[in-house]
Amino acid sequence: MLEMMTLVLMGTIALAVYRIERGPTGADRMLSSMLFGTSGTALTLLLGEVSGLHRLHDMALVFALLAAVTAVAFVKRAWRAGD
Amino acid sequence: MMLAFDVLLAALLVWIALGSLSELKLFKSVVMFVVFGLFMALAWVRLGAPDVALAEAAIGAGVTGALMLDAVGHMRERQQPYPAATARQDASDA
Amino acid sequence: MIPVVDIASTALFVASGFYFLAGSVGLVRFPDVYTRLHALTKADNLGLGLLVTGLALRSGSWYTVAKLYAIWLLVLFASATSCYLVAHAARTGGIPVWRNERP
Repeated sequence: MLEMMTLVLMGTIALAVYRIERGPTGADRMLSSMLFGTSGTALTLLLGEVSGLHRLHDMALVFALLAAVTAVAFVKRAWRAGD
Repeated sequence: MMLAFDVLLAALLVWIALGSLSELKLFKSVVMFVVFGLFMALAWVRLGAPDVALAEAAIGAGVTGALMLDAVGHMRERQQPYPAATARQDASDA
Repeated sequence: MIPVVDIASTALFVASGFYFLAGSVGLVRFPDVYTRLHALTKADNLGLGLLVTGLALRSGSWYTVAKLYAIWLLVLFASATSCYLVAHAARTGGIPVWRNERP
């Protein structure tokens, strides 16, 4: 069951990569990056459960934090509407 | 089942790396780079190195991604060409 | 493992997979930035919450349960904040809002 869930999460991430390729504006690309924060956290927790490494919970915390940091850097610095 | 996961991970990793390198828009390239860092962290987890994965996620994806986004913003603020280019142009005009 | 706990966590995993897939399909199919934000930040966080609950049922110690829910709370706060930031930047940056052409 856990292995099935990792495959499902990989599928969602593949859809998000497709949206980065397509995405007409920069905000769409940033959205996909936010999805990577959420699904990456879930995937890390699942991999930790599959392989029995409970240290990976710290890495899930880092993923959750970095999605927020990247979003703030995007909004404060890199934002122009035309791209 | 985990073999299928690994194959999918490797294929997506190659796709993202190609997308990041062969892209003309800087912003899209940077977002691809951040995503590549996250994927590389997952690959380190699958290779059995969680500490390297932690460092890769924190440094490779997070800090470098934020710095690169900042750099893209700076490059877009100055629309005029760089000083070296204008100096060369002045020299060729003279 | 106790079978009831096993069945309950499996059901939670299936539900969380459904919500993750729904969020991603919304990200691909919806017409503009604001609707995509709507799909992403609601469905995915609910999926993560269900997954965390399923993992917490399987885990043995209360410490792990507390840590899992702390991760979920951090993701909730970060996602809500960055959702507002991106939507505000898109609105002030002049990205048009999608309107349904057909009445």
